[in-house]
Amino acid sequence: MLLIGFLLLQVVPTDPATVLAGPTATPAEVQALRESMGLDKPVWLQFVLYLGRVLQFDLGRSMISNTAVIEEIGNTIGPTIELMLASLVWAVPLGILLGTLAAVRRGQLLDRVIMAFSVAGVSMPIFWFGLILIQYVGTALELLPFQGRGGPLWSLDGLRHIVLPAVTLGGVFVGPVARMTRTALLDVLGADYVRTARAKGVAEGSVVMHHALRNAMIPIVTLVGLQIGFLLGGAVVTETMFAWPGVGRMAVGAITSADFPLAQGAILILAVSFIAINILVDVLYAMLDPRIARR
Amino acid sequence: MTFDIASPPRQGGEARYDPAGDMTDSTGLLEVRDLAVHFHSAEGTFKAVDGVSLTIRKGETLGIVGESGCGKSVTALAVMGLIPRPPGEIAAGQILFEGEDLARKSASELRQIRGNRISMIFQEPMTSLNPVHTVGDQIAEGIMLHQKVGKAEARMRAVEMLKLVRIPAPERRIDDYPHQLSGGMRQRVMIAIALACQPRLLIADEPTTALDVTIQAQILELMRDLRDRTGTAIMMITHDLGVIAELAHRVVVMYSGRVAEEASVADLFNDPQHPYTLGLLGSIPKLHVEEERLATIEGTVPNPYSMPTGCRFNPRCPFAIERCRVEAPPLREVRPGHRSACWRAPLEEHVL
Ligand SMILES: Nc1ncnc2c1ncn2[C@@H]1O[C@H](COP(=O)(O)OP(=O)(O)OP(=O)(O)O)[C@@H](O)[C@H]1O
Ligand SMILES: [Mg+2]
Repeated sequence: MLLIGFLLLQVVPTDPATVLAGPTATPAEVQALRESMGLDKPVWLQFVLYLGRVLQFDLGRSMISNTAVIEEIGNTIGPTIELMLASLVWAVPLGILLGTLAAVRRGQLLDRVIMAFSVAGVSMPIFWFGLILIQYVGTALELLPFQGRGGPLWSLDGLRHIVLPAVTLGGVFVGPVARMTRTALLDVLGADYVRTARAKGVAEGSVVMHHALRNAMIPIVTLVGLQIGFLLGGAVVTETMFAWPGVGRMAVGAITSADFPLAQGAILILAVSFIAINILVDVLYAMLDPRIARR
Repeated sequence: MTFDIASPPRQGGEARYDPAGDMTDSTGLLEVRDLAVHFHSAEGTFKAVDGVSLTIRKGETLGIVGESGCGKSVTALAVMGLIPRPPGEIAAGQILFEGEDLARKSASELRQIRGNRISMIFQEPMTSLNPVHTVGDQIAEGIMLHQKVGKAEARMRAVEMLKLVRIPAPERRIDDYPHQLSGGMRQRVMIAIALACQPRLLIADEPTTALDVTIQAQILELMRDLRDRTGTAIMMITHDLGVIAELAHRVVVMYSGRVAEEASVADLFNDPQHPYTLGLLGSIPKLHVEEERLATIEGTVPNPYSMPTGCRFNPRCPFAIERCRVEAPPLREVRPGHRSACWRAPLEEHVL
């Protein structure tokens, strides 16, 4: 991941030294700058040096603001986590609820409606959904703000500001979660132990919640975990669209302005969070499945 | 028949049931009359059970045999009220249990009977227990549900049940998850779940088929012992005539959704009155030696969507006459307590 991020920025046709030196610089000045940045060294050596610095948490400095990259990340990671949590906190339960309803009412009208919605949700581009929200809720009705972060989450303004981005980012997640829940639950509802539960005289609601869904959570968590990359990608788009001061928007800004250290740092942190979330999923998985927890 | 498994165990011993009540009671505990279960699909209606009648008396063990797909499990599930609907449907007949017709009961009325007065154990011990709940919780669930007792009380009874099915160190095992137990142990847990509310009828659908031979013998031994102590009636579904010989009082032989023959175990083995039963007995597996399937009779089970007219066994039957191809034989008494659905019964008139 580190390598991919690094290489991606290598193939960008812009030369960071040229950008940094500015349009008025002479070729000699650019060359001197390139040497001082180590850009004249072979690519593999640059990577090794970069790796060494990363391990010491030295991600370099932003070429534009000259603040330490690590500091920039520290400032933006909070809002990103905030946005992700605010999206997941409603999207995952809603997705599970809809998927459960669809599975229980399999083949009936409710199932078809829910699945139609979730297909629409899956195939809808996130920016399109966000734009619609901005257009109608933000601009036309002026119900909610759609630019930036209003303040900490516990303040009313903070809450008002996060609604639209969180609805946008979470909105594209509901459909996949619903589909996965439906599939996993249908699978589990045919299991022998569900029949055992029914044979015990357990009421159908409890059969679904206590016996089936509890087991279906294992594949659901796995599948949701696999979608985390998708969610991170969505966060980048959402943050840019809503001027949300997170890592994603920072990454986009850094890339468009060819601020290489900052872009590299942002990609790095996105990669690290991807790994961190996957570890979290594994922990959750072990908690849900006694066959793993007890090993 | 009152028994109290909640009472503290006598020193080192197992919880004890009072011996069964009157085992010779001749009133029917379960009377299935002309039961028909249909499954609907795009290809049409499949009559998985087509006019089955059988009776189980109090404390009696009735064996049900027949080759794969003849409708044994479907009959059992119908009694449990567990036919999946759709695609299934109880199309006709009565299921009289202690005088009440289960086929007419609502879902919630059936729930109060299931796992309480009638319970069931299944063929697949490896997958029949919920992997994410402890065995203790799974036993206690039914107890709390039907006996309206609290968690602590139910747990205590669950330990008693584990003891009853002879699981060593039950106080420890109760917190185990199913994957920590062997197949035989899991089937013991299934039996514990089934017996937890002291049912009047236990339906055992091939409870030993999936187990090792030695474990099979242990489980059968356990079931027999528990039956003798509790007086629970058992519907024992099996492929294994050895199990029938070991455990059952009477036998119903099913063929293609219908009853072919019904008799006491001795009569059935000594004096079979249906050609299909003759075929089965020709392939009787030796008890506890090897799992063998019964169906070594010429021909195959008829196609469910194009049943032969007349007797369904006629294409495979060495005794078949013209009438068998035209008219379905009713189940009729050939000897006292011995009924056969064959035009040619009694059969001995035709052999030699
Ligand atoms: N849910 C269902 N939907 C459609 N058909 C079914 C369903 N359940 C059972 N059947 C059909 O009913 C017939 C009887 O099945 P059943 O399970 O009672 O057979 P069985 O006698 O128990 O066989 P086995 O010895 O293999 O367990 C089979 O042909 C089966 O395909
Ligand atoms: Mg079966």
